[in-house]
Amino acid sequence: MNQIGFPLVSLIVWLPALGALLLWLLPRDNTAAGRIVALAAAIGALVAAVPLYILFDPSQAGYQLVDRVGWVSDWGLYYSVSVDGISLWLVLLTVFLTPIALLASWGSDVANPRLFQGLILLLASGMTGVFVAQDMLLFYMFFEFTLVPTALLIGMWGSDERRAAAIKFFVYTFAGSVFMLLGIIGLYLIHGQQTGVYTFDLATLLASLQLGAIRIDPLIEQLLFLAFFIAFAVKVPIWPFHTWMTTAHAEAPVSGVVDVAGMMLKIGAYGLIRFNVQLFPNAAAWAAPAVGVLAVITILYSAWVAYGQSDLKRLLAYASVSHLGFIVLGIFALTSQGIAGAVVQMVNSGVTTSALFLIVGMLAARSGERDISSFGGLWGTMPVLGSLTLIMVLASIGLPGLNGFVGEFTILLGAWLSPVLGWGFVLLAVLGVILSAAYLLRMFRLVFMGEVPAERAAMPDLQGREAIVLGALLVPTVVVGLYPNILFGPMQVTMQQLAQTLTQTLASR
Amino acid sequence: MSDLRWVIWLIPALPLLGFLVTVLLARSERAAGLIASVAVGLSFVATIASIAVMQSLPEEARRLNIVLWEWISVGAFRVSFGVLFDQLTAVMALLITGVGGLIHIYSIGYMHGDSRPVRFFAYLNLFIFAMLMLVMADNLLLLFLGWEGVGLCSFLLIGHYFDRRSVAPGIVPSEAAVKAFVVNRVGDAAFLLAIILVFSRLGSISFFPNEALGINGYLERAPELAFTQVGIGFLGSIGVITAICLLMLIGVTGKSAQVPLYTWLPDAMAGPTPVSALIHAATMVTAGVYLIVRNHTLFSASPTAAGVVVAIGLVTAFLAATAAITQFDIKRVLAYSTISQLGYMVTAVGMGAYAAGMFHLLTHGFFKALLFLAAGAIIHAVHETQDMRRMGGLKDELPTTFRIYAIGALALAGIFPFAGFWSKDEIIAHAWFTVQNPGAAVALIVTSMLTAFYMGRQVALIFYGKRREPGTPAHEPGNAMRIPLFILAAAAVLGGLINLPGVHWLSSFLEPVIHEPEVVYTLGMGILATIATLLSIGGAYLGWWLYARALAGRVRPGRDDPALRYLGDLWRGAELGWGFDWFYQRVIVRPYRNFSQTLSDVFDRQGIDGILVAGPGRILGVLAHGVRVAQSGFVRNYALAFLIGVVVLVGYFTLAGR
Repeated sequence: MNQIGFPLVSLIVWLPALGALLLWLLPRDNTAAGRIVALAAAIGALVAAVPLYILFDPSQAGYQLVDRVGWVSDWGLYYSVSVDGISLWLVLLTVFLTPIALLASWGSDVANPRLFQGLILLLASGMTGVFVAQDMLLFYMFFEFTLVPTALLIGMWGSDERRAAAIKFFVYTFAGSVFMLLGIIGLYLIHGQQTGVYTFDLATLLASLQLGAIRIDPLIEQLLFLAFFIAFAVKVPIWPFHTWMTTAHAEAPVSGVVDVAGMMLKIGAYGLIRFNVQLFPNAAAWAAPAVGVLAVITILYSAWVAYGQSDLKRLLAYASVSHLGFIVLGIFALTSQGIAGAVVQMVNSGVTTSALFLIVGMLAARSGERDISSFGGLWGTMPVLGSLTLIMVLASIGLPGLNGFVGEFTILLGAWLSPVLGWGFVLLAVLGVILSAAYLLRMFRLVFMGEVPAERAAMPDLQGREAIVLGALLVPTVVVGLYPNILFGPMQVTMQQLAQTLTQTLASR
Repeated sequence: MSDLRWVIWLIPALPLLGFLVTVLLARSERAAGLIASVAVGLSFVATIASIAVMQSLPEEARRLNIVLWEWISVGAFRVSFGVLFDQLTAVMALLITGVGGLIHIYSIGYMHGDSRPVRFFAYLNLFIFAMLMLVMADNLLLLFLGWEGVGLCSFLLIGHYFDRRSVAPGIVPSEAAVKAFVVNRVGDAAFLLAIILVFSRLGSISFFPNEALGINGYLERAPELAFTQVGIGFLGSIGVITAICLLMLIGVTGKSAQVPLYTWLPDAMAGPTPVSALIHAATMVTAGVYLIVRNHTLFSASPTAAGVVVAIGLVTAFLAATAAITQFDIKRVLAYSTISQLGYMVTAVGMGAYAAGMFHLLTHGFFKALLFLAAGAIIHAVHETQDMRRMGGLKDELPTTFRIYAIGALALAGIFPFAGFWSKDEIIAHAWFTVQNPGAAVALIVTSMLTAFYMGRQVALIFYGKRREPGTPAHEPGNAMRIPLFILAAAAVLGGLINLPGVHWLSSFLEPVIHEPEVVYTLGMGILATIATLLSIGGAYLGWWLYARALAGRVRPGRDDPALRYLGDLWRGAELGWGFDWFYQRVIVRPYRNFSQTLSDVFDRQGIDGILVAGPGRILGVLAHGVRVAQSGFVRNYALAFLIGVVVLVGYFTLAGR
């Protein structure tokens, strides 16, 4: 048991799932009660995360607030969950976005709302589990588990091509994750053979690697790296593995609720830090230039494709992929700025892109349309929604003073200072700053500026529940932009330690 | 009085507060105008108070720096959210809040009856805030916040009429707004690189040492790196300082509308006229000049970069002046004139004439704001007409406006003894005598003649001859508009006093920041100034004579300029701003847009999705079909891959035997 004698992290993980269970027990036709139970479970997890933030000790680098129970102890398999400087904010992002997603789904008349909300809750549990799992096999289980509710959400409530999209999503990420399982087993066997201790525990593995208790042949390390990399590159996604994601977003329910869940799914990028960089720094340095090239292609290619989209959701999907390119670039800069910037960008892009997806959902709920050309001039008839959209667009394109800038800048800085990437990568990546302004402002112009089409003249402005949803997302957008150290602070020590290891590794190459 | 240093925070805080109050509380045009104007007025008072506080301190302590909080700290990178107030900032803040305040008051009259006045005034305040953050930032990144902030505000204000299909002369406001932002972003991206390069080489992006955070200042360290080279791949190597300066210069060409990124500014007049005065004449576009002056230790340490700055400035000054000659839209003449005058300032600071550049920045701020506001009064008077071919003969109908406009025109043309004469002359003199570059001096004099010419032409077209499109009689502006005009007119007449030869109050005030040696005035300078001003008078008279007398009869609404017959393609080229827009449209914008769709439809859906994704799936499917392990597709593939993988892996480790 951990220092507080209470399984706080587990509570945060399982509370939404418990809510889902309760929902299932409720009578099917009691929609109102279902809503309240679902929201209560999600808010419960959010509330439980407050002491998590308070109890988290920023001066410690390792895993904290560990809940550890033997599972199949003979195999070295434990149920152990915890947080560290890397995962803390991703957990907080997940528990923050879940109630927002639920609240946003109230308005859309989905068929079988009970199941819909239940799946969202299960997804939240799964994602939190991924971020807090300290045991590799447990991580893998949570990782795979998130696929089921996501695929069902897309497949059951999505648009025209929803089943194809759901299957594509499932096959794609499932196929990628197979390689990860191989990697996990490989690492498990290597550690077991060299030390006699067979364990899936990440802390133990990391310590063994850093202390030199085990030595991995460079070629094997590279193979292990690749096994994890394929899984996470698909999951992130990195170009050219991105098409499942744009299809999934395009076909996901138009309300944007599932897209928000997708925004929480920074599992790929998280895995790259947790496994590829932390466990295999040598191989990471070996692969960094190649990954950097893919990251830059991801940024520029997605930005370019985003510019030509007429479907708002597809446009945002490509925008999101472009952001993820920045995140991967930051991670493989292998510097403290780059990786810290990547984590911050994960949180920020989660907040702002979620908001934009929800806004598209609000527009679609009013008009039944999500094609960019069917709108125009809405800023006049919907001043509040228009202004909030503009703020989120500006945050997303990295306007200083709003949250997106912080991550983007630190990533570029980190990549420039990086011993493995350098200024050439930054020179190209910075074009993404221009292109993002081009495609998102084009979107804003076509939807909110210009003349109002006659059939859109009577669309009502933001309403109560929507205002709460967007207002809640506005707070971190502004606060993080002005005081980003709120994010950087708790991860500082973890990043320093990581950077130190990386510097040593890079120096010894 | 040292405990009063906090007063400098009020300078940016008041307009921000004004913005928030206007957005959240103001519901009427009157309230919005009042709140916004008061906020800027108080900010002006705070600026004066700050100067008083600063001057009361001992000379070596006259640089106030207050750190509000630590903004970003990651690893060794640390940057504060702090404001700085020194002599350079003081001058800029006075201009921004002073001229900005007058424009606010003017707007109360001008925007009366507008459909969205609350938004308008809120944005004006936000703009003043952003501009103040730009000049008060104590580090490059916070400066960048203001830098992008003014870009945002120009987007908002240019797009004020976002729901109109087009405004005169055929500009789509929403497109002009996006264009302004995106073109500025090109410069901003380069600026971002400059910031990163400064940090990576100089270890800090704080201008001066920051005791509160314990970080160094980079400005004083610049000379150390004067001879350090940095490799740029196959292109060889470049001096670090030169690289930083050139990247900053790209940023300057965006914000200060220089060649080749100036194209957003002529379209920026899609916003209401006070916006043109505020953003596109008096303040925002001066940001680039300020940036160079603030970083003068860098630019002084790199003759190469300084040379490029001068070249860009001269080319811009000349090309924009020629373009201004050919325009018929009253505001477009002034817009090109702004670009040209900014070229003047950029040339000045490139030559190291920092005080002269700042001097011209100030006087230009006065008379260009005056001209734009007076143009607004004319546009109102003739019922929203902006085409000068449809005006003419307004001298008798609008005698006050005529006099005010004439003052502005004479000041801009650099005629003795108006403000523009003094500042322009200092730049020309610096080119000729101090840096001894007669080529630059001659180019500046020619530009100055062209300036006088187009102002003569403009005054003739608007005020002389007969009204070419008779309509309802024109009317003089009301008091809210008139009073700011009078104040600015006085500044345009007397503005030269602030740095009169022999007095040079501005130069000595700025001396602690820019360390420029005092200018010694010689007889030669007097002669040069006399020649330059005589040439300007000649140019102005020629412009006036041609369009008020010689060619006056051939100017008609909707027709080409009579001079087109004599100059042909040259005139057309100038009219189109020498084709930069045309070039960007065809070479960048259209291919980018068109290929974007191809990329999406062909490459992404058919290429990646069709071949890369479906392909392996099909192959696996065929394989798995032979094996017939399971029923459904993905379980089958998964199980197969899993099985093979586990067998291979376990086999490897078993055989490896360790």
